[in-house]
Amino acid sequence: MYPVERWAYANRLGRRHPAEKLALAGGMLLLSLTLPAYPGAMLIAGVMAVAAVGVAGISPAAYLRMLRVPAGFVLAGAAAMAVSVAPGRDGWHVALSPEGVAVAASTALRSLAAVCSMSFLALTTPVAELVGLARRWPRLGTAAEVALLVHRFLNVLAGTLTAMRVAQESRLGYASPRQAYRSLAALAACLLPRALDRAHRLERGLAARGYQGGLPVLPSARRPLSFAALAGILALELVVAALGACLGGRGAWPM
Amino acid sequence: MHIMEGFLPVSHAVGWSLAAAPFVAHSAGAIRRQMRERPGSKLLMGASGGFCFVLSALKLPSVTGSCSHPTGTGLGAVLFGPPAMTLIGSIVLLFQALLLAHGGLTTLGANVFSMAIAGPWVAFAAYRLARRAGASPAVAIFLAAALGDLATYVTTSVQLALAFPDPAGGFEGAVVKFMTVFALTQVPLAVSEGLLSVLVMNALAAHNRPELQELGVFPKEGVAG
Repeated sequence: MYPVERWAYANRLGRRHPAEKLALAGGMLLLSLTLPAYPGAMLIAGVMAVAAVGVAGISPAAYLRMLRVPAGFVLAGAAAMAVSVAPGRDGWHVALSPEGVAVAASTALRSLAAVCSMSFLALTTPVAELVGLARRWPRLGTAAEVALLVHRFLNVLAGTLTAMRVAQESRLGYASPRQAYRSLAALAACLLPRALDRAHRLERGLAARGYQGGLPVLPSARRPLSFAALAGILALELVVAALGACLGGRGAWPM
Repeated sequence: MHIMEGFLPVSHAVGWSLAAAPFVAHSAGAIRRQMRERPGSKLLMGASGGFCFVLSALKLPSVTGSCSHPTGTGLGAVLFGPPAMTLIGSIVLLFQALLLAHGGLTTLGANVFSMAIAGPWVAFAAYRLARRAGASPAVAIFLAAALGDLATYVTTSVQLALAFPDPAGGFEGAVVKFMTVFALTQVPLAVSEGLLSVLVMNALAAHNRPELQELGVFPKEGVAG
């Protein structure tokens, strides 16, 4: 089980209706893209960090670990943006441009705010409940059921893969690059037939219980959708939007 | 190459989602028809998606010594076909965003376009053309995986360049800039992913011919591949 998923079940907001958490994270995602990056993005990042660590009770270390990988990618992408490349008379020129730096800084801030919002959603809402929301729409029903099956299989297969990898490593399967390629290829080639075999076994088991193509499941025990909570979330988003829009434009950076 | 959460402006995020939507809808429709004939194919799709997700999380030793993740688009397109790969890839990208924080929800449309549409179709076309031109299966798989990988990063470069044109060099300057960043890191990876895909297919063809026939990679009657 991925550590994210363990938190998604075991946090203080775990039993709340997924639509409430989706409204908060989705609204903040939208705001992080539309508000002026300075100071709006910082405001959003702060609010979402408080929501995750303070309200949902996610450990700060787990939250930071979730942010670490995307933050690295964001900084690398922003570094490429800060540099300007243009065709000149004697070939291409590379320079550090002030506009480029401004765009890079605001994009990095925006992206960081969005990552904070998305991490809140991932750490507080189990995947099964989030995808389960989409099942009610008939057009999305099939895709949602396939997504739930993918989620089930990826957890099962991750366990198989770890066991196979340990077996390979304990036989020096990754001692040299050449050996590592062979081992990785064997890993993938052994995993595919096992994955297909699992699907067949599941199919036989379901067929024995009258499987016609539908996969009904019981909803998990959780509180019903609270309109008071939704109203509170909407109010919070309006306050953040108003603050971000008022304070924006007076900041140090253009945009 | 994933575009991170919140990296694209709203108009671009919406635009790429709209561009990807017809492909995903076509893929979902094809799969729904297939499921009506054979209910078990839904489970097969689930297993294939799980397989793609788990493989994409593997670390691949690169020629330059660094490590990165295979995109798996080439192998997936040859094994499952591009229409199925579009829906499977979109679901895998959603879970990569939620479980691994790779990519994002706002950039899902752009990432689906580069990794679940452009990559698989280019890989599949390369595989078919190479086979028709008389290339051996190994060469065809290598070309499919390497070109599929390259197609995803060219698409990503264009997506980033459209969103962030260079202040001095404009769109072309930005394309050159992002392409050089990715070319340095991704070309060795495309080659290593091509090699790995050949090894995987060799092992599958040697030991798991019935499974490959079930997926439709090889014809049903035992023809030497």
